[in-house]
Amino acid sequence: MNTPSSEPQLKIYCEDINKTFIQKGHMEVPVIRNISLEVEENEFLVVLGPGQCGKSTLLRIIAGLETPDTGYVALDGFPVTGPGPDRGLVFQGYMLFAWNTVMGNVEMGLKLRGVPKQERRAVAHHYIRLVGLEGFENHYPHQLSGGMKQRVGIARAYANSPKVMLLDEPFGQLDAQTRMFMQHETSRIWEHEKRTVIFVTNNIDEALFLADRIVLMEGKLPGRIKKEYIVNLPRPRDHENPDLLELRALITSETELVL
Amino acid sequence: MGGSSIANETVGVSSGREGITFYQIITNTYLLYTVSLISFFLVWDRVAAWQVFGDSLARPHIVALKLYDLTQIKFAGTNLGGHIWASTQRVLIGFSLASFFAVPLGLFMALNRYANAIVKPIFDLFKPMPPIAWVSISILWFGVGEFSKIFIISIGTFVPCLLNSYNGIRLIEPELYDVIKVLGGSRKDEVVQVSFPASFPAIFAGLQISLSVAWTCLLAAELMNARDGMGFLIKRGMDTHQPSLVLGGMILIALMAWLSSLLISLMERKLCPWKRSIDNL
Amino acid sequence: MAYEEIVVKKPLPLIALPCLSVAAFLLFWEWIVVSGTVPSVLLAPPSQVFTVFMDKLGNPNPDGAILAVHAWTSLQEAFIGYSLSLLVGIPLGLAMGWFRIVEGLIRPIFELIRPIPPIAWIPLTVFWFGIGLTGKVFIIWIAGIVPCVINSYVGVRMTQPTLIQMARTYGATDWQIFHQLCIPSALPMVFGALQIALAYCWTNLVGAELLASDTGLGYLITMGGRLGRPDIVVLGMVCVGISGAILGFIIDCVERRLLAGIRR
Repeated sequence: MNTPSSEPQLKIYCEDINKTFIQKGHMEVPVIRNISLEVEENEFLVVLGPGQCGKSTLLRIIAGLETPDTGYVALDGFPVTGPGPDRGLVFQGYMLFAWNTVMGNVEMGLKLRGVPKQERRAVAHHYIRLVGLEGFENHYPHQLSGGMKQRVGIARAYANSPKVMLLDEPFGQLDAQTRMFMQHETSRIWEHEKRTVIFVTNNIDEALFLADRIVLMEGKLPGRIKKEYIVNLPRPRDHENPDLLELRALITSETELVL
Repeated sequence: MGGSSIANETVGVSSGREGITFYQIITNTYLLYTVSLISFFLVWDRVAAWQVFGDSLARPHIVALKLYDLTQIKFAGTNLGGHIWASTQRVLIGFSLASFFAVPLGLFMALNRYANAIVKPIFDLFKPMPPIAWVSISILWFGVGEFSKIFIISIGTFVPCLLNSYNGIRLIEPELYDVIKVLGGSRKDEVVQVSFPASFPAIFAGLQISLSVAWTCLLAAELMNARDGMGFLIKRGMDTHQPSLVLGGMILIALMAWLSSLLISLMERKLCPWKRSIDNL
Repeated sequence: MAYEEIVVKKPLPLIALPCLSVAAFLLFWEWIVVSGTVPSVLLAPPSQVFTVFMDKLGNPNPDGAILAVHAWTSLQEAFIGYSLSLLVGIPLGLAMGWFRIVEGLIRPIFELIRPIPPIAWIPLTVFWFGIGLTGKVFIIWIAGIVPCVINSYVGVRMTQPTLIQMARTYGATDWQIFHQLCIPSALPMVFGALQIALAYCWTNLVGAELLASDTGLGYLITMGGRLGRPDIVVLGMVCVGISGAILGFIIDCVERRLLAGIRR
């Protein structure tokens, strides 16, 4: 187990990660305690937990934006030392470049890697079509609705053809209706172009709808993994499916009221 | 202020009462504007005609006539256009000179904390000093020629230009840099793709402020010492006790200040098509 | 929660550099004058400025008054003009934000007068009020009133529309909504105007004193220039800068006190 390369299917491997933040200059706040995690190739893993349980920090560590105090993250058997284009991150607050059009946002990653204009336009166009934003290429982010903005965020991450997609509560700011729709869309896009996905959310239904496997986090800081559940149901799923509801009851019983 | 933003409209709608037609008529914006402007000029005219301030206020039509006369005759060597151009030229040179150096310096200070640690304290020493306070020393240094005026304008515009470009970068959402990092960009990419474009609106806000400071500084310099320019007209009006000339000069300089700020706004709209319209409240 | 306390150290250069840079600046200034690179008729070194400062504390020559008198005159003018601009500007701006009639009547005139640089009024104020206190107070008032009006106006306009509608459903009258909802929610913006207005007032005060005055810090600078005394000019500039900074600091404290209750 300690040599991830021996597992051909293993994509991401997190070994005993600890992280402590320093708040207001002098307070130490432990955020993540002893988290170990394995993600297989093309697996849709959902990290479920309430607000403030360190799940976003875990994602940022996997993305390479934060360094763990102890432990390490390995991708394809090689330790992660910093952020890189092999992991695409979708942000909760969209984080689009307001000064770029939809096209400009989606092609940014390719542009940074020096892909010629013609080529990156074609790739970006493909992903804009995939997320259903055809015809909006020349719109600026402030002209789009929340759901459309996050589609741009997803297309931007996808267009960089990462090995792993990391989504940090991507639909947290959307209304319930749009959120449901975006879940369907995410499922559709993922089935269309399979990737290894780590999806962080605080919404249990979202987790059940999307996940191959759910990692349930402890309800308070420091963040720990509490339980894991395999969701072995066909897609596209139905929220009313009795097996799903049974699993939902099981997970709910494990979570405190804060959820 | 000005422009119609979302917030404006909504407050406007919810503060309006439906019903009484008379009320609607007297609160008609255009009617009120007309009434306001007419009464302003009427009061001005009456106050001047009744000599409330003795002979120290000219009636509006006298001022207009005076301005018209100045376009026809040469006054102190040049006609009205020449005076306007003399002032505008000074503002243009001083303003461009200062923004040319201040904006990059501000950006650099915000991007490099060591540069910031060296420059910021010296800058903080000069910041509270009103630019007009430099008038005397600049005359002492550079005499009464063009250069001393341009110097004051540059000093005055330097501060807001630098401060705004500095803050423009300081206030960028740090997560935007994470996006570039995750997409595989370098520090250079962060600066080019995020810092520069994101600071654009703040830079323009700085240019707007600088411009109004520039006109004030120009006026101070020209009032102290000049042989042409709009400030010279005002000063000459003061020395020879011609209120019409003073008021004419005031109107001209206000007009030029307004026009130049309009120009910057247009430039901004052209260069930042992505800026939300709600920002210009 | 029992988190451990730790101390975060700034990198040493970031602490040392600002001190070094100010020291280097002062030394350089002293050196270019003392060494004669810049003739002493053009610039006074810091040491000489300090000497003149000590001297001017008790000596009315050569400009007619001791430093305290100049400073007191300037502060007095600034204080009266600033207070007047707050007293008039803030209520006016608030009223313009809520009452359509007030906005319709005042706005065009305000927009006409706004682009005129305040010091352009100097000749008229000299004609009307002479070179005494009144004229300068008038100019400072004109300078300070603009940000007060704009910020109060925008503050009222940015009141959350839903809150206004909520108040209406409770049967509040226009006047009640205005003074119990719009004014409190505009306060942060209004306080924001205090600093801006002060900076405008202070700048234009110096301008007014440069051009039409017989005492005050601005006058001190002008006289230094006329007499060819760079030490007095620099002293005046330093005094103006320091007093401006102190005033700004006081307003900052007041603002923080007042805002403490209504944190956004």
